[in-house]
Amino acid sequence: MSVRRDHASIAPQRDSVGETAAMVNLPAALSGAAHYVNDIEPPGTLFVAMLRSPHAHALVRGIDVAAARALPGVHAVLTGAEVLDRAGPHPVYWQLTGQRTPQTRAMAVDRVRYHGQVVAAVAAESRALAEDALELIAVDYEPLPVVATVAEALAPGAPLLVPEWPDNVFGEQVYGTGDTDRAFADAAYVVEEEFDFGRSFGAPLETRGCVVEYEPVAGRFEVWINSQSPNRVREVVSEVVGVPQARVRVRIPAVGGGFGTKANYYGEEILACLLARSTGRPVKYVEDRDESFVASSHARQQHLKVALAADADGRIVGLRGDVVGTLGGELSSVGMGPVWLAAVSLPGAYRIENIRVRARGVMTNRSPYGSYRGWGAPKAVFAIERTVDRLARTMGLDPQELRRRNLVTPEEMPYANGILARLDSGDYRECLSRVEALTVDAGWPDTIREARSAGRRVGMGYACFVESTGIGPSRVMTAIGVEQAGFDEAVARMDAGGQVTVYTGQAELGQGILTTIAQTVAHELGLPPERVEVVSGDTDRCPYTGYGTAGSRGAAVGCEAARLAGVELRDQVLGLAADRLEADPAELVMDEHGVGVRGVPGRRLTHAEIGRAAYRDLTLAGDGFSGTLQGRAVYDPTAMTYSYGAAAALVEVDAETGEVRLLDGAMVDDCGVVINPDVVEGQLVGGSVQALAGALFEELVYDADARLTNPDFHGYRLPRTTDFPPLRLGHMETPSPASGSGVKGVGEAGTLPWAPALCAAVDDALADTGVFVTEVPLRPERLLEAIDGSGVATS
Amino acid sequence: MTDTVRLAVNGSDVELRVEPRETLADALRRTQGTRSVRLGCEHGACGACTVRLDGRTVRSCLVFAIQAEGAQVETAEGLAAHDACFQRLQESFACGNAFQCGFCATGMLMTASELLAEEPRPDADSVRERLAGNLCRCTGYESIVAGVLRAVDGATDPATDPATGEVTER
Repeated sequence: MSVRRDHASIAPQRDSVGETAAMVNLPAALSGAAHYVNDIEPPGTLFVAMLRSPHAHALVRGIDVAAARALPGVHAVLTGAEVLDRAGPHPVYWQLTGQRTPQTRAMAVDRVRYHGQVVAAVAAESRALAEDALELIAVDYEPLPVVATVAEALAPGAPLLVPEWPDNVFGEQVYGTGDTDRAFADAAYVVEEEFDFGRSFGAPLETRGCVVEYEPVAGRFEVWINSQSPNRVREVVSEVVGVPQARVRVRIPAVGGGFGTKANYYGEEILACLLARSTGRPVKYVEDRDESFVASSHARQQHLKVALAADADGRIVGLRGDVVGTLGGELSSVGMGPVWLAAVSLPGAYRIENIRVRARGVMTNRSPYGSYRGWGAPKAVFAIERTVDRLARTMGLDPQELRRRNLVTPEEMPYANGILARLDSGDYRECLSRVEALTVDAGWPDTIREARSAGRRVGMGYACFVESTGIGPSRVMTAIGVEQAGFDEAVARMDAGGQVTVYTGQAELGQGILTTIAQTVAHELGLPPERVEVVSGDTDRCPYTGYGTAGSRGAAVGCEAARLAGVELRDQVLGLAADRLEADPAELVMDEHGVGVRGVPGRRLTHAEIGRAAYRDLTLAGDGFSGTLQGRAVYDPTAMTYSYGAAAALVEVDAETGEVRLLDGAMVDDCGVVINPDVVEGQLVGGSVQALAGALFEELVYDADARLTNPDFHGYRLPRTTDFPPLRLGHMETPSPASGSGVKGVGEAGTLPWAPALCAAVDDALADTGVFVTEVPLRPERLLEAIDGSGVATS
Repeated sequence: MTDTVRLAVNGSDVELRVEPRETLADALRRTQGTRSVRLGCEHGACGACTVRLDGRTVRSCLVFAIQAEGAQVETAEGLAAHDACFQRLQESFACGNAFQCGFCATGMLMTASELLAEEPRPDADSVRERLAGNLCRCTGYESIVAGVLRAVDGATDPATDPATGEVTER
């Protein structure tokens, strides 16, 4: 595809490293040069520590902070009563139809509903001193009956976590198309399965944090925060603290990973603002790692019941889905969005005419449930792909053949599935075939044969996925119930020296968005990417991006806005140059040296000459020219884009211990036009390893009292270098017709296919036992239970 | 209650006033401004705060500052200034997508440089084994392992000065 070649011919900035100049420009993160939020410390900074509830559910009958306030070096102690007085309710911007939202504040006021909820905040001369002060605070809790699970929450007579509500359900949404009852009644085959996806979270290596300064004369807040959505933080601080948006400046330092965890906004930044204002000192709050386990959004945990109906030829004619999310004691900023998305994503890449799905969000005494890379999609992909495998087994059909019969074909696109999705482009069957080819090339069939003849339990399995990317058309967002538009604004300037700078609302989290923006704009201006500066992470300097950097939208929406701003800048530059060179703009070419008349070597202007004419000596520009060179663009996508892919896993199961080991993995994806292959690969591999760990061992485990039992990296196992082999990646590239650049988005794709592919491979390895895996993470003890339950001797 | 600790940080003798409970990681960050020492977990699980203490890598969040009395402490800032192997690893990480957010990167480089000092030509398995105690949440590790191996290859790169090991030109 020509667009791809053009982009690929622009060497990414990081690939130019290795030249002498690279020694000077070594990325800051590789030394002590980078400033993450914890590296920001204005003179006089106070350090904040949070007192968090040891109970999952309790009334706060009283709180005595006198001793803490009296401790020398303590400057302020903030309690719920003061928060109630000084700040408004904490908003939830995902307000889905049918969703109830309990009113919450930045900290607990008279009731705690999860283990780890903040009940007091201390600002002191050092973090250690602030933590000393926490120990001097006496809270009078009256413990209440705990609702630890969905079953407990929905049981008759369950304690009502919001006393004014009739039950513990946040709400439900139902979507449907066709006549499901009839489809199931007439079907030759019907299968139904129930699945559980375990609770986990993004766990960026850098925890959440912020530094807030308050200027009393101007009444201004200066907020440094490692957020993915700086404009949202500004709006929320403005709304909750009651200060005009123009007096809140939010800046983003180097960010140590986001993964959606930092796309949500939280109460702690509000508390930091209140403490900065009351103490008159800069304050810093950085979450401890153990705090992060209860205070950063949890994710993933859902129970999904899925039924498929098929005719005698294996055509899927009906889908029923029921998704229940184990939400926490309050809603995160995204409400029950991830549960809703799981339900509406269930049809996946398949042509199914009769669909009925329901999403329900249930309140429990667990930590709030919010964003984590993939959002609702990993659960939907897991459940639908596993159910397709089950259907294939019931029909005695090869699962990949069953998939092929039902995957939407390019000829059918754009394909509207009747419940929101409009699959835009791609060849899903070809993608699956390419994964199969990768596994054959890698010799998997022989590996399996040899391993099995040696008595080892080795097997392989597949999964396909489609995901909505490039959030999002603003009016669709509103229709869904999101109180946030989905457009991006960008500005591209050429300054008086002829240097180009792009200003974006996107946030760099390490994924490479600033590099891809530079490449995209440079391409339009005929410049090498290193000649384009990109400025981001400052609400005072940078344009508006409401939704921020999330939802696989950085490249699809953020880059496209920047590209359009670059095009506008190019047109202005060419207009100025056309006047000056007395040429038609169509005759001009723009390249790394400046602007010239095509085919006339002498007639050209350097960038410096153009900058001078635009800013310093307007007599050099045309009469109508009024100064500056600045392109500004707003890009609001007309439709969601749909990336897709497929993956295969080769696993070995130890039937004695229940341990599963990934021996090899292959994935082919199509995220539309690729701007930077290195960045895409980084996203795919990184997301894949997160998903593999999530499918095998990452899990937040609660006890019967709804206390988190494993809040550290010893108990909650992140993937390590030694866990997984290198993955085999293949790539397809189908431009999206729904976006100007053809880019779809790739940030979340890696998280999608691995859980079902891995489980299918485990089934295959244990084929003689009839095991069908329905729960992740695939902990050894659970698998052993399933093997034992099969009654087949495995030793 | 504070104590005085005398130690050398990146070759300079320093005298620190610390509380007995202050970790070496916190003391270095607070008094020496060594931002390469990053705190990812503060209980020794992630490796982002890795420094060299008398020539051996340690997790500075698990060492109290007062335990470093008389020690030679080196951080990424120090090694980046004078250690050719460390510099080679930095360059290699920079050019191969070996880091994304970079929060783990200085700890990775510290551990990798110790490995290369002990075992100049490790294979991929040795690199994986040695880096198993350094967590990265972004990359999935493959590019990090490749980054370390590329630094090994650099030792025989024609553009490398065989006398100093420094890359002269590419």
